[in-house]
This record gives sequence, structure tokens and C-alpha cells, in this order.
Amino acid sequence: MLKHNLLLYLRSIKKHKSSFLINLVGLSTGLACVLLVYLWVSDELAKDKFHENDEQLYQVRRNVPIGQGAIGTFSSNSSLMLTALQEEVPEVEMVTAVYEIDNKVRLETEKKKLTAIGNMASEDFFKVFSFPLISGDKHTVLSDVSSVVISSELAANFFGQDLDPIGKTLSIKVGEENIDAVFTITGVFEIPKNSSEKFDFLLPYKTFLKHRDPDNIAWYSNSSSVYALLVPKTDINAFNQKMADFVAKRNKYLKGEQVLFTKYSNNYLRGRYENGKQSGGRITYVILFSIVALFVLAIACINFMNLSTARASRRLKEVGVKKAVGANRKSLIFQFLSEALLLSFFSLICACLVVGLLMPWFNTLTGKELDFVLEGEIILSIFLITLLTGLIAGSYPALYLTKFKAVKVLKGKIETSFGELFVRKGLVIFQFCISILLIVVVSVIYMQLDYIQSKNLGFNKDNVLVFDRQDALINTMEVFLEETRQLPGVVSTSYMQGGMTNFSNSSRGHTWPGQSEEDKEITFRHAHVGPEFIETMGIAMKEGRSYINEKPDNDSKIILNETAVKVMGLKNPIGTVINMRGPNREIIGVVKDFNIQSVYNEIAPMALLCRTEWVSNLVVKIKAGEEKTAIAGLTKLYAKFNPGLDFDFRFLDNQYQQLYLAEQRVATLSKYFAGMAILISCLGLFGLAAFTAERRRKEISIRKVLGQSTSQVTIMLSSEFVKLVLISIVITIPIAYLLATDWLSQFAYKISLHAGYFLGAGIVALLVAILTVGSQAIRAGNKNPISALREE
Amino acid sequence: MLLQLNNIFKWVNSGGQRIFLLKDINLQVEEGEFISIMGPSGSGKSTLLNVIGMLDGFDEGEYNFLDESVHNLKEKLRSNLYKEYIGFVFQSYHLLDELTVQENLEMPLLYKKVKGAERKAMVADMLDRFNIVGKKDLFPAQLSGGQQQLVGVARALIANPKLILADEPTGNLNSQQSEEIMELFKQLNTEGVTIIQVTHSEKNAAYGSRIVNLLDGRMI
Repeated sequence: MLKHNLLLYLRSIKKHKSSFLINLVGLSTGLACVLLVYLWVSDELAKDKFHENDEQLYQVRRNVPIGQGAIGTFSSNSSLMLTALQEEVPEVEMVTAVYEIDNKVRLETEKKKLTAIGNMASEDFFKVFSFPLISGDKHTVLSDVSSVVISSELAANFFGQDLDPIGKTLSIKVGEENIDAVFTITGVFEIPKNSSEKFDFLLPYKTFLKHRDPDNIAWYSNSSSVYALLVPKTDINAFNQKMADFVAKRNKYLKGEQVLFTKYSNNYLRGRYENGKQSGGRITYVILFSIVALFVLAIACINFMNLSTARASRRLKEVGVKKAVGANRKSLIFQFLSEALLLSFFSLICACLVVGLLMPWFNTLTGKELDFVLEGEIILSIFLITLLTGLIAGSYPALYLTKFKAVKVLKGKIETSFGELFVRKGLVIFQFCISILLIVVVSVIYMQLDYIQSKNLGFNKDNVLVFDRQDALINTMEVFLEETRQLPGVVSTSYMQGGMTNFSNSSRGHTWPGQSEEDKEITFRHAHVGPEFIETMGIAMKEGRSYINEKPDNDSKIILNETAVKVMGLKNPIGTVINMRGPNREIIGVVKDFNIQSVYNEIAPMALLCRTEWVSNLVVKIKAGEEKTAIAGLTKLYAKFNPGLDFDFRFLDNQYQQLYLAEQRVATLSKYFAGMAILISCLGLFGLAAFTAERRRKEISIRKVLGQSTSQVTIMLSSEFVKLVLISIVITIPIAYLLATDWLSQFAYKISLHAGYFLGAGIVALLVAILTVGSQAIRAGNKNPISALREE
Repeated sequence: MLLQLNNIFKWVNSGGQRIFLLKDINLQVEEGEFISIMGPSGSGKSTLLNVIGMLDGFDEGEYNFLDESVHNLKEKLRSNLYKEYIGFVFQSYHLLDELTVQENLEMPLLYKKVKGAERKAMVADMLDRFNIVGKKDLFPAQLSGGQQQLVGVARALIANPKLILADEPTGNLNSQQSEEIMELFKQLNTEGVTIIQVTHSEKNAAYGSRIVNLLDGRMI
């Protein structure tokens, strides 16, 4: 029987190639989408879960009032937290503190110089985290002040694959912390692929404490990330309540700060905090794409259902004959379900091929290194997904086709009931709703990104080179910049602490004349910058003067931004003396607001201080059109100051684009998903239109015999589907509007939604639908009416 | 006695009115009979045949088939009953286009769960008996109408039914083909198969041993 049915199925595929192809293409595309997203999602969900103590591993955060009722959540902590937690809190099993070095650090042997990213971590680091150590003892690798643990990759870069680097020495210079010493390698670690954190080497935290200004080893100076292993089965809510005032009780200036323990492995997917509470993060995209992929698959399943039931007439004879010779309904349902399953497994094979081919492209798109390897868990998952797809897609047709009585079927007397038409139309509407929704979403994301990138940032990001202050430049920065200024093609030069895309340093507790009590809480961003910074960045002055021609490290002057002056309530800021990052600073200028973070955030009050301390980046403005000359000159000069080190620079505008990488990826991905959704929907529509034309052949013929023209027939047939698409538009627009508004609400600066986005999406869907259906309708209209009527 | 219909009524409701398709049908069929049902279009011939073939139900009356009361039987048992004893021949043959002659013949046996080897033998036997061995691998579309109906009859016979129901078996055939099919029926009948056919043709009806005339759902 199985062989028999298989034969029947294969021969009917051969006969009705187009429906088979529509179904195959649709289901393979849907399955391929689901597979890709499955790989992506499972990779996202596995991030940071490899630590053995994952269940107990928490990060210490602080909720700090940042003025005007808002709460900021910070992950930096005082270095005193380490011992305090260890000694005072019984629920804490083990703690480690990590200081992240902002810039790349230079490491060298006698033979080789390299730059790398490094942290300074306390002794228990490898016990709290489970980064595998290839060599070295996890209990002692970081105990000695002069030890260094390096990644296997760095080890290979320095010493080649075979050599065991334990005991070899590296001289390491960390500019920010004035470290310049020789360290002995005590261990080699590996960073697993699904770690969200990447670093090349670790220095002992003791070294950090040794070089740290003793004034800054205090509860008010937050420098390090702190991670703790809590005792198993600690009630985290109760524990957080108990720990809330852990910092606040130690220093009166820290009143209002609350300590918060958050699960470490949640950082990656749920890393966004709003007003002290966890709110979204990458998990939003994980959920979003899972839903979208399932929708695409659902659209494909709907195609299958619609085509199978709509073209039932072809299979009905088979059902009738089989019933007449004694088949019962069960065996027929089984037959149709197995056909659907067979098709979905065909599609799975195609989907696997497609996924295999698309993998490199998908990896570039998502910025991941996913492998498509068919092994245990994946095989099981895709098998189940495919099985489910087949059952869902096949169930309705199977039940529908087998319910008719043999007599009626064989007499060709089946009338499509209102209910069936309703279901079929409803499914088409559902498909188009999703397609239109995706078009709207994609266009809104694109417009928003475009808006962000062309938005007036308050500074000119074009033709600005940024590079690290490292190695020799730590001491000779000003001489270097002086010489740079003489190079052809260079307009101006300066330096800054942090980057233009994120000035994260902040402080509070400042005073100024006329300050109210509650204003004392206001947090100000601040950055140390060079004298020509404002000019180099093209930031506009609102009033007063810039630091130009000032000597750096003059602690009697300060420049504020517009927002700062506004929140301070200063009427005549210029000449006012305030206490901010040092007593008695005179405001010499006010700059117009410029974006100091991504446009997710509103511009915060900010102070610019002319200092060389803590400066991490150098900036050079280049004349447009003379980039090559300027860069060539700079590279040469850099080599003179830093022999043996590559000139590693970034363009500021590229850096700015990096900020929106996540959104860019979402935009590109959703573009493809929307494309696929529309493609599959149209395939379905194409099939349905062809069927409708077939079903209404007699009616069309009679109409034509009675004098209706081909174009009238075409319009009549098309309008049936156009109506469905119109209904979809009406249903989708409010949903799309809500979704778009919700997504945009996370940006402080956003496009305003207008009807165009929605109508545009609707018109696109409508046009595509008309083109698809129209071709079939015209074909039907052109047929010779006699041939149809004669059959009756 | 093969089957007996007592006071069979069948109707449909249309626009609040009851339209009778069959009215008070009383019919007794003995084994070995060859009955022709005749009557104008719409007189209920096919409906009667379908009721007898258990493909269609009725609203009132009694139907006994080989001492089983069909009207009281469950769907499943009824289906077993006709699977076992009844074969159908249709006006438009109703062969499956995607299957070859051989596979078409095999199909009823599949649903009777006949074993593979036995099935092969029965199909071969039937091909032989109808002289269509040479056509066994052809598809229906490659055969003439008469040949297709030959296969149709062969398919109806393959499961050794007691009763063959034929709904205008020659309606789509030319006169020579018709004659061949009717001769075949006559021969089958002499071999002991009971046949009930619906026909418009007096000539075909004459092959039968008895004629049942219908008008507006009534026997006259």
C-alpha cells in the first residue's frame, strides 16, 4: 500500500509540477529561515553559559540616583568591594574583581612587539569563571604581582604553536595606570567561542592596586567590575534586599546608592537597565527573529494548505474511487498526511543545502562564527520542526479532502462551502498581514538608521582620525601632536579621554552659586580634552571662548555644555566660579550641545576639562581630499615615535557607524525576512489565482460567450484578491503602528511616523499581488470559451 | 435472496420543501439475477443504485443484504460488507490516471489487505481473463474508452464480488464497444455474478433478466 501511494504521489508530482514547486520552494525557504534563526538563537542563548558555576555566578552592580529622579545602573565598583564582600558577607562563596584596561596595551619580548586587550583580575578569577587553563594552576596563576596569564592565541603569536611559554617574560606598558614592568607568564588560557568577553591577557589585580593612586582606592571611586559566586540556592531577591545599602552605609556621600547582584550569564541577552531595572537588551531581537522565522514558516504552511484544498478537485476523484473500492477515511488521511510529511522532508533537504550555502553570508551578516554541523541536538530539533511542519501543513488538507462522500465526489458535485472559503481567505489575509507588517518594520528601521546617521550630532565626524595614546605617546603626546600639526593635510590635532561615541566618566556632588539642595545629586559627565579639542571636532561655541591657546592642566578653568548650564540654572555662566572636579573653576565658555553617546540617550550635562591626565585617544582632523598624504605623513611620524608598532587608527565616522551595528544587522536581517515572506506569500497567491481561474472556467466562458471582454474578466478575477490584500492592509496598519512606536521609543531622537510608511507598505503588497494575480487572470480571460463549455 | 429493499424513502429538503428522490421502493433481488433499472433523467436510477451499493444512505425503510440489516449497521461494518460483496462500474470508468492498468486493478485488493503474492496472482489472473495482459503497464489515458471500461469491469470483479453495480457502463462508449461490455456482463452473469445496471438503452436492458422502471422516484 505504501509503495502504491508513493507511486501515486510521485506521478502526481510529475503531472502537477507547478504546485509541487510552489510548495517545495515555499517550505524549503520557510525551513531554511527557521534553521538559520535556530542556529543564531541557540548560539545567543548559549553565550556565557559555559561557566561551571553559572547558576551561582553574579555580577555586582550599583543603582545610583543621577538627578531629577532618574536612576542609572553601573557595573563599576570600588576596588574595596572585593575584600568587603569576601570578609563580611557569608552568602558570598568567592569574589573576583576585574579592572578592564581601556586601550590596547603594548607587550613585547626581545624579538616581537604586539598590542593586545587585557584586564587586571584578582586571584580567584579562574575559580569564579571557567575559562579553561591550558597550562598553569588556576589557584595560583594570578597570585604573584609580576605574573601574567595570556591567551593561547597571544602565546602562539609570540612564541609559535609548539613552545610552552610558561616562565618566559613579557614587558608590558599600561599607559592609564603608569605600569611599565616585566611580567612572567604563569599560565595560558583559552576563550571559548561562546564567551561574550574577549581578552588577550590578564595581569594580577594586586598590580593594579599597587599602581593606583591611594586616594582612588576608596568607596567613592568606582573602577572595577566585581563578580561573586553566591552560596548555592541563595534567594537572590532577599539577598539583594539585604545588600542594598552595602555601599551607602559606608560613606555619607554615597547615600542613595543601592547594590544589586545580577546573574552574570544574563548580561549578554538582558544587559540593558532602565531606571534601575532590567529592561530588554539583545533578548528582544532573539524573540523578534524567532517569531519572524516561525511566521515565514507559517506562511509556507498556509500555502501548502491553501493549494492542497483549493486544488482538491484534482485529488477528489482519487478519494472517490478509493472510497468506492473500499478505502476507509483513516487510511486516506494517513495517505495525505504522509504526502505532506514527504514533501516537508524533501524541503528539509533543500533547506539544509541552502543553509549550508548561505552560512558564510549569514555569518558576515550576523557577525558570528556559526557552524552548520548536523549532529545530535540539531538533527533532533530540525527533525521535530520538519515533522511538525508536515503535520500542520498536511492536517487540514487531509481532513478536508477525505470528508467527502464517494458518490458526490464521483459525480463532481462538491460545492465549496462558505466556511471553507472563509478559512482560505482568512489564511491569505493572514499571510499578507505578516508581509505588510514586515515591510513596515523594515522601512521604519531603515528610515530611523538613516536619520541617526545623518542627524546633526553637534560635531563634525568627517575626516577625523582617532588612535590610542600608547607606548611612547604616553610621555611624548604633546611633542608628537606638535609635529603632527606641521604635516601636510593636517588641519588640527587634539586629544581626549574616552571616545566621542561614549563619554562614560561621570561624577556628582558638585556645587555652584544658587544651587538648590536637590541639584546636588545631578550627575555630570566629564572628559579631559586637549586645548584644540573643540575646534578639531567642529563643536560650536554658544558663548565665551574655547581652550585654544590654553596650557593644559590649568585647574582654574572649565567649559560646560548647554544642557549643563540649563540644569544648573545659571543665567550668566561666563565668569561664574564653580566647584566641579576641583574647587574654584571659572566657566570660560559654553559649547552647544553635541551627542556624547548613542542617540538612544538624551544629551547629558557635561564638563570639558583641559587636562592631559587619563587621556586615552588622540584625534587628528584632516583636510578633505588630502587623506592619503596626511595618513602617509602620520604613519611615518608615528613610526619615528613608536618604532616597531603599527599605526592603528580609526576614522571617527566609521566608529560612529559601529555604534549602530546591532540596528544595522536587524535592518538587514529583517529586510531578507520580509523579502522571503512576500515571495512565499506571492507564490501562494499565484497558485490560488491559477486555481480560481480553473474553478471559474465555466463561469468565465459563459460570461465571454455573452460578450464580456477579456479585460473585464481579468479585472473581475483580480479584484477578488485585491479585496483580500486591502483587508490585510486595514488590519495590519494599527498593529504596525504600535510596534513601530514601541521600537522607536528607545531612541531619544527619532523619526516621526507618518502615513507614508504604512501606505507605502500597503501599496507595495498590493502591486505585487496584482502583478501575481493579474498574469493568471489574463491567461484565464484569453482562453477559448468553447473548450470549457464543451466539457460540461 | 441477495438483498431486499422495503419501503425505502429518500429525500432532500430544499427551500422548506421536501423533495423525494426515492419513494416507497420495494425491491427483492435474488442471487444470479441481471436487473436493468430504467427511467428518464432524474427519475432516481443512480440514487437507487447508490443506495443498493451503500455509497449513499436513505431516510426511511429497511435494507437487508445477505440477512444483514444495512440500515442498522455501523459505518465500519457497512464498509466491510460492501468491500466484500460489491463491485462498482462507472459510466466514466473512474480509473486513476496516475496508475497503470495493473496498479488500478491491484487497488481494491490493497484495501482488503490481500497479501502481496496473492495480489499478484489475482491481478495476473484478471489480466489474463480479460485479455489485457499486453496493456498492463499502460496508463488509462493510453487506452480507448472501451478498453478503459474493460479495466473498470475487471477492477470491479477482482475482489470476487457477489454483486456488480454498473451505472450506465456504456454511456461513454460507441455501439460496438457497448456490445462487447454487455456481452461480458452477460457472460459474468451466467458464471453466477448478480448484476444490477442503470441504463437508458432498451437494447442494453434486454441483456438483463428483469427490468425495473422508475419515474419520479417511484417504481412503476
